[in-house]
Parts: sequence; C-alpha cells; structure tokens
Amino acid sequence: MKPEDKAWQSLQQHAAAQLRSGFAARVVRAANGPTDASWQSLRAVGAAQLRPGFAARVLSAARRIPGAPSLLDQLGLCVGTAVLCIVGTLFFHSRSLEIENERNLATWQRIAMVVQDADNAP
Amino acid sequence: MESTSSTALADLVRRAQQGEESAQRELIVSYQHRVAGFVYAMTGRSDYVEDLSQQVFIKMIRALDRLQAPAQFESWLFRLARNTCIDQLRRQKLRRIFLPFGEEHENIPEPPGAVDSEELDALRHALAQLRPQDRALLALVQEGRSHAEIAETLGTSVAAVKARLHRAREHLREHYTPI
Repeated sequence: MKPEDKAWQSLQQHAAAQLRSGFAARVVRAANGPTDASWQSLRAVGAAQLRPGFAARVLSAARRIPGAPSLLDQLGLCVGTAVLCIVGTLFFHSRSLEIENERNLATWQRIAMVVQDADNAP
Repeated sequence: MESTSSTALADLVRRAQQGEESAQRELIVSYQHRVAGFVYAMTGRSDYVEDLSQQVFIKMIRALDRLQAPAQFESWLFRLARNTCIDQLRRQKLRRIFLPFGEEHENIPEPPGAVDSEELDALRHALAQLRPQDRALLALVQEGRSHAEIAETLGTSVAAVKARLHRAREHLREHYTPI
C-alpha cells in the first residue's frame, strides 16, 4: 500500500471513530422528526406532574379565588379613571384661572387707585 | 360508539353548566392528564404544569355557562389551555425584560430523572426553539384537534392552518436532533 493511501485510510478510521454507536439510527430519527411515541412520552411526563387530588384542589380554588374582572369591568375602570382625570384637570384649570383673574383684578384696582390719586393730586 | 361518547360528554358538560359539582369534577378528572400534557408541551417546564392546569380548569368552570355548544367542549377547553399558556409565556417574557436577573425567571433546567429518554429531551429542546404559537399548533394536532377546529380556535382559515403547520413541522424537524 502506498504511503498516501495508508494516510487516507487512517484519516477515515479516525473520522469514523468520532461517530458514537447508533449513529445511523440517530440520523434516521432526526430526519424523520419526533415520533408519536416521543409526543406520548412528553404528554405523559406532563400528566405525571399533577399531584393526587388535583380535581378537588381546582374545585376548592374556583370557589375561593375571586374571579378575574370581566372586560366590561376593566372598561368601566378605564372610563372611570379617565372621567376622574378630566374632572380633576378641569377643576384645577378653572381654579387657577379664578386665582389669576383675582390677582389681575387686584392689580388693576391698585393701578386705578394710583391713577385716581394722581388725578386728584393738585 | 363515538357518537355515544360525544353525547355522554355533551350531557356531562350540560350538567356541569348547571353547576353540578360532581359533573365538574368528572370533567376535570377526564381531561386533567391531557391538559397537563398540553401545558408541558407548551411550556417545557414541569414546575408550571400543576399551576397552569389549575388555572385552565378554574377558567373552564367559570366560563362554562358561556359555552353555547356543549358538543364543542373539547376544542373550547384546549383553546382555553392554549390561551392560558400563551398568556403565561408572554408574562414571563415581560418579567424577563423588567427583571432580567430575577432568579425565578431563569430558565431552570429540568431536574434529573424528569426526562427519561434522549428522544423526549430532543423533542423538548426542539419545541423550546419554536414560537409559542407554533408549539400550540403542533400540540393541538397531537391532541387530535382537526384543522377546522384549530382554524376556528385561531380565527383563521383551514388553508392558513395547514401552511403554518407545515412550517412549524419543518422548524421542529430542523431543531430535532436526538443526541
């Protein structure tokens, strides 16, 4: 055997040694995708997580825990919050406007008094 | 035979709708394992299974009187389960954004022994790489839901479901590598 053939052979042997046993079976399994048996095992593992007395716990929790708010309740809460915000904003706006008007009026009154005093001055 | 069992189921649902506790209990017992399996496929976390399954069944009991067609109970229940899981995954994602270093939000690996085979582990890993919507699609198919039922659940057409399912299967296959 030529030295290069021998080298090729040992390269192939080295490469082949990297494959673990059952390589062909694994390739076929990977190519075909998960089998129904795998899915069944997956479901079985899930089912095995439920502790005994599951139904009784669900029924008692359903009675005990208050229900989640309905869409209508959530909508009502949103509308209520929005109305409260608008009323608050309007109130604050009108109140600050009122204070500003009072302040302006007082300034004008003071100016008027100064003018009047100036008019009455000899 | 199948029509007899579906009639019996519709009858059971009607009794549960009227508030009969034994019927509600029977419904939970009949579906708890399937719902738990679905939740596990959706979340990949065994510590979420009990809590999320409980949430699904509590929602079921509270919303049962709004179910118009008792014969469609199964697809309605799995729609509830899908929405509950997707809500949970969304909340988890949001929490991860706001509390990136919160210990409880880390992706905790399954405890040893929880996963018993390399194929199962590969399936869990592949599912975790998919979008929750695609995971739900595959899990619903595995639960025996028809394309029409899934289309109704997702509010889309059967053709769209088939296309999405095809893509989801392709993605799953890409990531499925049994070690």
